[in-house]
Amino acid sequence: MLNVLIVDDSLIIRKNVKKYITSLGHNVVGEAQNGAQAIEACKKLKPDLITMDITMPDMDGITAVKNIRVFDKDVNVIMVTSHGQEEMIVSSLKAGAKGYILKPVSEEKLAKSIGTIFKEYNKEEGDSDDDLMDDLDE
Amino acid sequence: MKDKEAGEIETEILLPMLERAISFLTDDMQIKVTSNSAEVVCPNQVELKKNTAMIGTGGSIQVIITMSYDDRLLEKLVEAFLEGEEAGEDELDEIRESVSSEIVNTVVGNALTNPLDGTMLTITPPILIYEAKSLFKHKSSRIATAIVTTEFGDMLLTVIGPKESFADALNFKEL
Repeated sequence: MLNVLIVDDSLIIRKNVKKYITSLGHNVVGEAQNGAQAIEACKKLKPDLITMDITMPDMDGITAVKNIRVFDKDVNVIMVTSHGQEEMIVSSLKAGAKGYILKPVSEEKLAKSIGTIFKEYNKEEGDSDDDLMDDLDE
Repeated sequence: MKDKEAGEIETEILLPMLERAISFLTDDMQIKVTSNSAEVVCPNQVELKKNTAMIGTGGSIQVIITMSYDDRLLEKLVEAFLEGEEAGEDELDEIRESVSSEIVNTVVGNALTNPLDGTMLTITPPILIYEAKSLFKHKSSRIATAIVTTEFGDMLLTVIGPKESFADALNFKEL
Protein backbone atom coordinates (compact mmCIF):
# COMPACT_ATOMS: atom_id res chain seq x y z
CA MET A 1 0.00 0.00 0.00
CA LEU A 2 1.33 3.40 -1.03
CA ASN A 3 0.96 6.67 0.84
CA VAL A 4 -0.21 9.20 -1.75
CA LEU A 5 -0.26 13.02 -1.83
CA ILE A 6 -2.78 14.56 -4.27
CA VAL A 7 -1.93 17.98 -5.73
CA ASP A 8 -4.54 19.75 -7.86
CA ASP A 9 -6.32 23.13 -7.66
CA SER A 10 -9.60 21.51 -8.75
CA LEU A 11 -11.84 20.18 -5.95
CA ILE A 12 -13.61 17.69 -8.23
CA ILE A 13 -10.29 16.25 -9.45
CA ARG A 14 -8.98 15.90 -5.88
CA LYS A 15 -12.21 14.12 -4.89
CA ASN A 16 -12.12 11.76 -7.87
CA VAL A 17 -8.39 10.98 -7.65
CA LYS A 18 -8.81 10.28 -3.93
CA LYS A 19 -11.67 7.89 -4.70
CA TYR A 20 -9.60 6.04 -7.35
CA ILE A 21 -6.46 5.85 -5.17
CA THR A 22 -8.49 4.47 -2.26
CA SER A 23 -10.26 2.00 -4.56
CA LEU A 24 -6.85 0.77 -5.76
CA GLY A 25 -5.98 -0.06 -2.15
CA HIS A 26 -3.67 2.86 -1.38
CA ASN A 27 -3.79 5.52 1.32
CA VAL A 28 -4.25 9.26 0.67
CA VAL A 29 -2.09 11.02 3.26
CA GLY A 30 -2.76 14.58 2.13
CA GLU A 31 -4.01 17.04 -0.47
CA ALA A 32 -2.57 20.32 -1.77
CA GLN A 33 -3.99 22.98 -4.07
CA ASN A 34 -0.81 24.47 -5.55
CA GLY A 35 2.91 23.82 -5.90
CA ALA A 36 3.95 25.68 -2.77
CA GLN A 37 1.53 23.71 -0.61
CA ALA A 38 2.76 20.52 -2.28
CA ILE A 39 6.37 21.20 -1.28
CA GLU A 40 5.41 21.76 2.37
CA ALA A 41 3.12 18.71 2.41
CA CYS A 42 5.84 16.56 0.86
CA LYS A 43 8.38 17.60 3.54
CA LYS A 44 5.88 16.88 6.30
CA LEU A 45 4.15 13.73 5.01
CA LYS A 46 6.95 12.03 3.03
CA PRO A 47 4.55 10.33 0.57
CA ASP A 48 5.53 7.31 -1.56
CA LEU A 49 3.75 8.85 -4.55
CA ILE A 50 2.50 12.29 -5.61
CA THR A 51 -0.17 12.96 -8.24
CA MET A 52 0.58 16.45 -9.54
CA ASP A 53 -1.40 18.85 -11.75
CA ILE A 54 0.69 21.17 -13.96
CA THR A 55 -1.45 24.31 -14.33
CA MET A 56 -2.08 25.73 -10.87
CA PRO A 57 -2.13 29.24 -9.37
CA ASP A 58 0.90 30.58 -7.43
CA MET A 59 3.28 27.75 -8.34
CA ASP A 60 2.85 25.27 -11.22
CA GLY A 61 3.41 21.53 -10.94
CA ILE A 62 6.66 21.38 -12.94
CA THR A 63 8.29 24.01 -10.71
CA ALA A 64 7.02 22.14 -7.65
CA VAL A 65 8.56 18.84 -8.82
CA LYS A 66 11.93 20.54 -9.40
CA ASN A 67 11.80 22.01 -5.87
CA ILE A 68 10.76 18.72 -4.27
CA ARG A 69 13.61 16.87 -5.97
CA VAL A 70 16.08 19.21 -4.22
CA PHE A 71 15.33 17.49 -0.90
CA ASP A 72 13.96 14.16 -2.22
CA LYS A 73 15.64 13.12 -5.45
CA ASP A 74 13.87 9.74 -5.52
CA VAL A 75 10.34 11.15 -5.25
CA ASN A 76 7.74 9.35 -7.38
CA VAL A 77 5.53 11.85 -9.19
CA ILE A 78 2.76 11.23 -11.72
CA MET A 79 1.70 14.36 -13.58
CA VAL A 80 -2.11 14.40 -13.96
CA THR A 81 -2.81 17.14 -16.44
CA SER A 82 -4.79 18.23 -19.49
CA HIS A 83 -1.71 19.25 -21.50
CA GLY A 84 -1.26 16.96 -24.49
CA GLN A 85 1.57 18.92 -26.08
CA GLU A 86 4.74 16.84 -26.42
CA GLU A 87 6.99 19.64 -25.17
CA MET A 88 5.01 19.79 -21.93
CA ILE A 89 5.38 16.02 -21.43
CA VAL A 90 9.14 16.23 -22.05
CA SER A 91 9.40 19.18 -19.63
CA SER A 92 7.61 17.14 -16.96
CA LEU A 93 9.91 14.14 -17.41
CA LYS A 94 13.01 16.36 -17.38
CA ALA A 95 11.77 17.95 -14.15
CA GLY A 96 11.71 14.49 -12.58
CA ALA A 97 8.18 13.16 -13.06
CA LYS A 98 8.04 9.39 -13.53
CA GLY A 99 4.57 9.16 -15.07
CA TYR A 100 2.14 11.28 -17.05
CA ILE A 101 -1.66 10.94 -17.21
CA LEU A 102 -3.68 12.98 -19.66
CA LYS A 103 -7.00 14.23 -18.24
CA PRO A 104 -9.77 13.21 -17.98
CA VAL A 105 -8.34 11.01 -15.24
CA SER A 106 -9.74 7.54 -14.62
CA GLU A 107 -9.02 4.71 -12.20
CA GLU A 108 -7.69 2.60 -15.09
CA LYS A 109 -5.18 5.27 -16.18
CA LEU A 110 -3.98 5.72 -12.58
CA ALA A 111 -3.64 1.98 -12.02
CA LYS A 112 -1.59 1.58 -15.21
CA SER A 113 0.72 4.48 -14.40
CA ILE A 114 1.27 3.37 -10.79
CA GLY A 115 1.92 -0.18 -12.02
CA THR A 116 4.51 1.06 -14.53
CA ILE A 117 6.41 3.18 -11.99
CA PHE A 118 6.53 0.62 -9.23
CA LYS A 119 7.34 -2.25 -11.58
CA GLU A 120 10.27 -0.21 -12.88
CA TYR A 121 11.38 0.87 -9.42
CA ASN A 122 14.39 -1.45 -9.23
CA LYS A 123 15.41 -1.27 -12.86
CA GLU A 124 18.03 0.95 -14.45
CA GLU A 125 17.03 4.61 -14.67
CA GLY A 126 15.80 5.57 -18.15
CA ASP A 127 13.73 2.48 -18.85
CA SER A 128 10.59 3.97 -17.31
CA ASP A 129 10.78 7.12 -19.45
CA ASP A 130 10.75 5.00 -22.62
CA ASP A 131 7.75 3.09 -21.31
CA LEU A 132 6.00 6.37 -20.56
CA MET A 133 6.40 7.62 -24.10
CA ASP A 134 5.16 4.26 -25.39
CA ASP A 135 2.10 4.59 -23.17
CA LEU A 136 1.38 8.06 -24.52
CA ASP A 137 1.64 6.85 -28.11
CA GLU A 138 -1.04 4.21 -27.54
CA MET B 1 -0.14 36.89 -36.63
CA LYS B 2 -0.10 39.59 -39.34
CA ASP B 3 0.05 37.08 -42.21
CA LYS B 4 -3.25 35.56 -41.20
CA GLU B 5 -6.67 37.00 -42.05
CA ALA B 6 -8.62 38.51 -39.15
CA GLY B 7 -10.13 35.68 -37.14
CA GLU B 8 -8.20 32.96 -38.95
CA ILE B 9 -5.87 32.13 -36.05
CA GLU B 10 -8.78 32.13 -33.61
CA THR B 11 -10.77 29.82 -35.89
CA GLU B 12 -7.82 27.44 -36.31
CA ILE B 13 -7.49 27.25 -32.52
CA LEU B 14 -11.24 26.81 -32.08
CA LEU B 15 -11.81 23.95 -34.53
CA PRO B 16 -9.82 21.21 -32.69
CA MET B 17 -11.37 22.40 -29.42
CA LEU B 18 -14.82 22.10 -30.91
CA GLU B 19 -14.01 18.56 -32.01
CA ARG B 20 -12.63 17.69 -28.55
CA ALA B 21 -15.61 19.31 -26.78
CA ILE B 22 -17.98 17.13 -28.80
CA SER B 23 -16.00 13.95 -28.08
CA PHE B 24 -15.69 14.93 -24.41
CA LEU B 25 -19.45 15.37 -24.06
CA THR B 26 -20.26 12.23 -26.04
CA ASP B 27 -17.55 9.76 -25.00
CA ASP B 28 -16.42 10.96 -21.56
CA MET B 29 -19.67 12.40 -20.18
CA GLN B 30 -22.16 10.18 -22.09
CA ILE B 31 -24.19 13.24 -23.11
CA LYS B 32 -25.83 13.13 -26.53
CA VAL B 33 -24.82 15.92 -28.91
CA THR B 34 -27.52 16.88 -31.39
CA SER B 35 -26.24 16.30 -34.90
CA ASN B 36 -25.36 19.19 -37.22
CA SER B 37 -25.52 21.65 -34.34
CA ALA B 38 -21.95 22.89 -34.33
CA GLU B 39 -20.77 25.70 -36.51
CA VAL B 40 -17.94 28.22 -36.35
CA VAL B 41 -18.79 31.86 -36.92
CA CYS B 42 -16.84 35.11 -36.43
CA PRO B 43 -19.44 37.50 -35.02
CA ASN B 44 -19.17 41.15 -33.98
CA GLN B 45 -20.74 40.39 -30.62
CA VAL B 46 -20.86 37.37 -28.29
CA GLU B 47 -23.28 36.80 -25.41
CA LEU B 48 -21.56 34.80 -22.66
CA LYS B 49 -23.87 32.81 -20.40
CA LYS B 50 -23.73 33.18 -16.60
CA ASN B 51 -21.98 29.79 -16.28
CA THR B 52 -18.72 30.67 -18.01
CA ALA B 53 -15.14 29.55 -17.41
CA MET B 54 -12.20 31.09 -19.24
CA ILE B 55 -8.55 30.31 -19.85
CA GLY B 56 -5.80 32.47 -21.32
CA THR B 57 -2.97 31.19 -23.48
CA GLY B 58 0.67 32.23 -23.23
CA GLY B 59 3.43 31.94 -25.81
CA SER B 60 3.44 33.11 -29.41
CA ILE B 61 -0.38 33.29 -29.49
CA GLN B 62 -2.19 35.08 -26.68
CA VAL B 63 -5.94 34.64 -26.70
CA ILE B 64 -8.78 34.10 -24.23
CA ILE B 65 -10.83 30.92 -24.56
CA THR B 66 -14.25 30.77 -22.90
CA MET B 67 -16.70 27.95 -22.40
CA SER B 68 -20.29 28.69 -21.34
CA TYR B 69 -23.01 26.24 -20.37
CA ASP B 70 -26.77 26.32 -20.00
CA ASP B 71 -27.83 25.59 -16.40
CA ARG B 72 -29.27 22.14 -17.11
CA LEU B 73 -26.21 21.02 -19.06
CA LEU B 74 -23.91 22.11 -16.23
CA GLU B 75 -26.02 20.16 -13.72
CA LYS B 76 -25.73 17.03 -15.88
CA LEU B 77 -21.97 17.52 -16.18
CA VAL B 78 -21.69 17.83 -12.39
CA GLU B 79 -23.63 14.57 -12.04
CA ALA B 80 -21.30 12.88 -14.50
CA PHE B 81 -18.18 14.06 -12.66
CA LEU B 82 -19.60 12.90 -9.32
CA GLU B 83 -20.07 9.40 -10.82
CA GLY B 84 -23.15 8.65 -8.74
CA GLU B 85 -21.77 9.99 -5.45
CA GLU B 86 -23.79 12.45 -3.38
CA ALA B 87 -22.29 15.88 -2.72
CA GLY B 88 -22.99 17.82 0.45
CA GLU B 89 -25.07 21.00 0.13
CA ASP B 90 -22.18 22.98 1.61
CA GLU B 91 -19.78 21.95 -1.15
CA LEU B 92 -22.14 21.86 -4.14
CA ASP B 93 -21.40 25.42 -5.31
CA GLU B 94 -17.67 24.79 -5.16
CA ILE B 95 -18.06 21.50 -7.04
CA ARG B 96 -20.14 23.23 -9.72
CA GLU B 97 -17.38 25.84 -10.16
CA SER B 98 -14.74 23.15 -10.12
CA VAL B 99 -16.50 21.12 -12.84
CA SER B 100 -17.05 24.18 -15.01
CA SER B 101 -13.34 25.05 -14.73
CA GLU B 102 -12.14 21.48 -15.17
CA ILE B 103 -13.99 20.97 -18.44
CA VAL B 104 -12.50 24.06 -20.07
CA ASN B 105 -9.09 23.03 -18.71
CA THR B 106 -9.40 19.49 -20.09
CA VAL B 107 -10.80 20.41 -23.50
CA VAL B 108 -8.37 23.30 -24.07
CA GLY B 109 -5.37 21.40 -22.70
CA ASN B 110 -6.14 18.29 -24.77
CA ALA B 111 -6.80 20.16 -28.00
CA LEU B 112 -4.53 23.22 -27.90
CA THR B 113 -2.42 23.63 -31.02
CA ASN B 114 -0.33 26.51 -32.31
CA PRO B 115 -1.29 27.18 -35.94
CA LEU B 116 1.13 30.12 -36.11
CA ASP B 117 4.56 28.54 -35.54
CA GLY B 118 3.98 25.20 -33.80
CA THR B 119 5.71 26.25 -30.58
CA MET B 120 4.32 25.26 -27.19
CA LEU B 121 1.49 27.36 -25.77
CA THR B 122 0.90 27.48 -22.03
CA ILE B 123 -2.49 27.95 -20.41
CA THR B 124 -3.47 29.88 -17.28
CA PRO B 125 -5.48 28.33 -14.46
CA PRO B 126 -9.23 28.59 -15.23
CA ILE B 127 -11.12 31.72 -14.19
CA LEU B 128 -14.89 31.97 -13.67
CA ILE B 129 -17.19 34.71 -14.91
CA TYR B 130 -20.23 35.09 -12.67
CA GLU B 131 -22.68 37.00 -14.80
CA ALA B 132 -23.88 37.04 -18.39
CA LYS B 133 -21.67 39.31 -20.50
CA SER B 134 -21.84 40.84 -23.94
CA LEU B 135 -18.50 41.02 -25.69
CA PHE B 136 -18.29 43.46 -28.61
CA LYS B 137 -15.66 43.15 -31.30
CA HIS B 138 -13.10 45.96 -31.08
CA LYS B 139 -11.34 47.43 -34.11
CA SER B 140 -8.27 45.19 -33.75
CA SER B 141 -9.92 42.26 -32.01
CA ARG B 142 -11.01 38.92 -33.39
CA ILE B 143 -13.72 36.54 -32.15
CA ALA B 144 -14.47 32.99 -33.27
CA THR B 145 -17.33 31.09 -31.66
CA ALA B 146 -19.16 27.78 -31.91
CA ILE B 147 -22.27 26.34 -30.27
CA VAL B 148 -22.64 22.68 -29.40
CA THR B 149 -26.25 21.69 -28.77
CA THR B 150 -26.87 18.72 -26.50
CA GLU B 151 -29.94 16.97 -25.17
CA PHE B 152 -29.57 19.12 -22.01
CA GLY B 153 -28.82 22.51 -23.54
CA ASP B 154 -26.03 24.42 -25.22
CA MET B 155 -22.29 24.77 -24.72
CA LEU B 156 -20.77 27.92 -26.21
CA LEU B 157 -17.07 27.99 -27.10
CA THR B 158 -15.35 31.28 -27.89
CA VAL B 159 -11.79 32.21 -28.82
CA ILE B 160 -11.14 35.93 -28.56
CA GLY B 161 -7.97 37.81 -29.23
CA PRO B 162 -5.77 39.54 -28.65
CA LYS B 163 -6.06 38.76 -24.94
CA GLU B 164 -5.34 42.29 -23.72
CA SER B 165 -8.33 43.69 -25.66
CA PHE B 166 -10.77 41.91 -23.39
CA ALA B 167 -9.07 41.02 -20.10
CA ASP B 168 -10.11 44.28 -18.42
CA ALA B 169 -13.71 44.03 -19.64
CA LEU B 170 -14.31 40.74 -17.84
CA ASN B 171 -14.70 40.96 -14.09
CA PHE B 172 -13.69 37.47 -13.10
CA LYS B 173 -12.89 35.37 -10.06
CA GLU B 174 -9.57 33.54 -10.01
CA LEU B 175 -9.93 30.10 -8.40
